Amino acid sequence: MKKQNVRTLSLILCMFSYLLVGAAVFDALESETESSRRRILELKRTEMKKKYRFSEDDYREIERVMLQADPHRAGRQWKFAGSFYFAITVITTIGYGHAAPGTDSGKVFCMFYAVLGIPLTLVMFQSLGERMNTFVCYLLRRVKQCLGLRRTEVSMENMVLVGFLSCIGTLCVGAAAFSHYEAWTFFHAYYYCFITLTTIGFGDFVALQKKEDLQEKTPYVAFSFMYILVGLTVIGAFLNLVVLRFLTMNTEDEKRDIFGYYDCFLSTHTHTHTHTHTHTHTHTRVKQVLSVMAAADSVESTSYCMPLMEFCFNEEINR
Amino acid sequence: MKRQNVRTLALIICTFIYLLVGAAVFDALESKKETTQKKKVYDRKQELRNKYNLTKLNFDELEEVVLQLKPHKAGLQWKFAGSFYFAITVITTIGYGHAAPSTDGGKVFCMLYALLGIPLTLVMFQSLGERINTLVRYLLHRLKNCLGMRRTEVSMVNMVAIGFISCMSTLCVGALSFSHFEGWSFFHAYYYCFITLTTIGFGDYVALQKDQALQTNPKYVAFCFMYILTGLTVIGAFLNLVVLRFMTMNAEDEKRDAEQRALLSQNGQAGGHNHPGCAPDPPSSSSAASGCSGGAGGTGGPGGGGNSGVGGAGRGLRNVYAEVLHFQSMCSCLWYKSREKLQYSIPMIIPRDLSTSDTYMEQGEAFSSDALHPLHSNGCVYSMHHPHSAISSVSTGLHSLTPYRLGHSKRRSSI
Repeated sequence: MKKQNVRTLSLILCMFSYLLVGAAVFDALESETESSRRRILELKRTEMKKKYRFSEDDYREIERVMLQADPHRAGRQWKFAGSFYFAITVITTIGYGHAAPGTDSGKVFCMFYAVLGIPLTLVMFQSLGERMNTFVCYLLRRVKQCLGLRRTEVSMENMVLVGFLSCIGTLCVGAAAFSHYEAWTFFHAYYYCFITLTTIGFGDFVALQKKEDLQEKTPYVAFSFMYILVGLTVIGAFLNLVVLRFLTMNTEDEKRDIFGYYDCFLSTHTHTHTHTHTHTHTHTRVKQVLSVMAAADSVESTSYCMPLMEFCFNEEINR
Repeated sequence: MKRQNVRTLALIICTFIYLLVGAAVFDALESKKETTQKKKVYDRKQELRNKYNLTKLNFDELEEVVLQLKPHKAGLQWKFAGSFYFAITVITTIGYGHAAPSTDGGKVFCMLYALLGIPLTLVMFQSLGERINTLVRYLLHRLKNCLGMRRTEVSMVNMVAIGFISCMSTLCVGALSFSHFEGWSFFHAYYYCFITLTTIGFGDYVALQKDQALQTNPKYVAFCFMYILTGLTVIGAFLNLVVLRFMTMNAEDEKRDAEQRALLSQNGQAGGHNHPGCAPDPPSSSSAASGCSGGAGGTGGPGGGGNSGVGGAGRGLRNVYAEVLHFQSMCSCLWYKSREKLQYSIPMIIPRDLSTSDTYMEQGEAFSSDALHPLHSNGCVYSMHHPHSAISSVSTGLHSLTPYRLGHSKRRSSI
C-alpha cells in the first residue's frame, strides 16, 4: 500500500489507542476522588436543606439563581478589557469559557470573528515563530564563533534544546508571576500556564478573575495579555521547528510520487533523442513541459499524475 | 527589509488590530446585557437571603456548596466514558472544562498526556485530511470525465468550494442531532458544533451532560465522540487545503534566499571553491570567511560534469519541472499566476542556443548531484526540510539557469 496511506492508518490507530489509554488512566486517577467528593457535598447539601428548612422547589430556585450569579462574581467581563481578553481566547482557540456571549448576536459575531481570526492567528504565530527560530539560530552561531568552537553550524539538536528550554522557561516565568498575583500555588499556576499555552483552556483556573482586576489593575492586565501572546509565540516557534514538517509529510510524498511517474515518462523519451540539438528538439521539449503544466492546473498531485500518466501511456503507444 | 520580516510585522499588526476591533464589538454587544443581568441576579439573591433569613456567612457557605456541586449535576464525569470524553477534549485542545482534574496527580498526568497527545493529534488530522483531499480530487476528476467535460483538471477553486460545503454540512448535521438530543435550539446547537470543531470549546454548551447520558446512553455517547473526531477531520482537511501552505511561507522564502545566495556565490567563482554568505540576514561577503563551514557543492564539479548530454538534458527538463512544482507549491498566491509567468519564461529558460542550455544543465546537474543542500552555507542545518527530498535536491538545477529571472518574477507577484 502507498506510504501515505500506511502512515495515515497507523496514525489513526495510534490516536485511538492513545485515547483509550488516557481514558483508563484518568478514570483510575480521578474517579475515586470524584465519588467521595460528590458524596460529601451531597451530604452537606441535605444537611443544609434540613437546617434551613428548604423545600425541593426552594432549593432548586436558590441553586438556579446562584449558578446564574456565578460568572458575575469575577467582575465585569464585557467592558473593553474583558472583551479584549475574550477576543484573545477566541482567536487563539484557548476558549476558557469564563465569559461566553450571552446574547444571540454575540454568538453570531463570535462565530464570524473566529472564522477569520483563527487562521490569521495560526499564520501569524507560525510566521513569527519562524523568524524567532532564524534569529536564535543566528545568535547561536555567533555564540559558537565567539566561544571559538570548531564546528559553528547550528544543528537540529541545538535548536530543539534551545526551543525546549525556552518553553520551560516561559512556563516557569508565568507560573511564578501568576502564583504571586492570583495567590495560587506554584504548581497550580504552572498548570494554568500549561493549559493556556497549549490552547486547551479548561477554565478551571483563569487569570484576571479576582474582583475587578480587569478594571483596576491595568499593568497586570497588560502583563497577562502579553504573557499569553508571547507564550503562544514561543510554543508556536517550537511547533514550527519540530512539528510543522510532519504536517506536510503526506503532501511531500505525493509530490515525490509524481517524480516517479515523470521519470518513467522521461525514460521512455530521452533514449530516442540522444544527440540531436535541433530546434525541433527544443520545441518538443517546450511543448512537453507546457502540456504537463497545462495538466497541472491545480495544486496537488493527483491532477498531475493522471494527465501525466495518460500522456506517458499515449506516447508509449504512439511509438 | 526582507520579505519575511515585512510579512511577519504585517501579520502582527493585523492581529492586534483584529483583537482591538473584536474587543470593541463584543463590548458593544454584551456589556449592556451583562449589567442588567448582574443587577437582576444580585437582587434576586438578596431577596432569597432575606426570605430564608440567612446570615451572610451561612449564605456564602450555601453558595459554595451549590457551586461545587455544579459539575456533579451532570453525572459521573470520570468513569471510563467520561474520561474518554475528557481525553478527547485534551488532545484535540477543545478543553470544555466541564470536567477538569481535581487531584494533583490528575493534573500532572494531564500535562504529560497533552504534551505527547497534541502533536500526535495535529499530525494525524492533517495526514487524514490530506488523504481525504486527494480522494476528493480523484473522485471529482473522474466525475468530470464521466460528465464528458472538456477540462477535467480539478482546480483549487473546485476543491475550496467542496471543502467549504463539507464544513457547512458537518456543522448542520451536528446542529440537527444535538438540538434533538440535548433539547437546544438549532442555533445554539450550531453554535456548540462551531465552538467545538474550531477547538475553542468554551464549555457554555457541552454535550452528554443531560440525564446521565454518559452512563446510560452508550449509542449517543459513541455518536458524540465520532462526530467530534470526524468533524475535526473535515475541518482539518479544509485547513490542510487552504491554510497550511501559509504556515510554511517564511521557511520556504528562507530556503529560496539561501539557495539563491549559494548559487550566486557559486556562479561568481566559476564553479570553483565557494565562499557562500553565512548569515540568514542580509549577507555580507566579507563575513563569508568567518568560520563558516558550509562547503556546499563547491567541490562537486568533476563528478557532476561527467554526465552525458542525454542524462543531463533529461534531468535538466526534470529540473525545470521540479522547480516549477517546488515554486508553485510553496507560495499559493503565486499559484494562479505561475502558469502564465512560466509559459513566458520557459522559452527564456530553454534558450534558443541549445548547446549553452545543455552546458547550464550539466552545471546544474553538477550542483544538484552533490548531496549537500545549499542551506548548509547558512550554517543552519536544522532548517533543511527533507534532506533527501526529490524536490529540494533537484531544485538547484533551475537556479543555475536563471538565478534572477524566475526568482524575480516570483518576487514581484508574491505576498
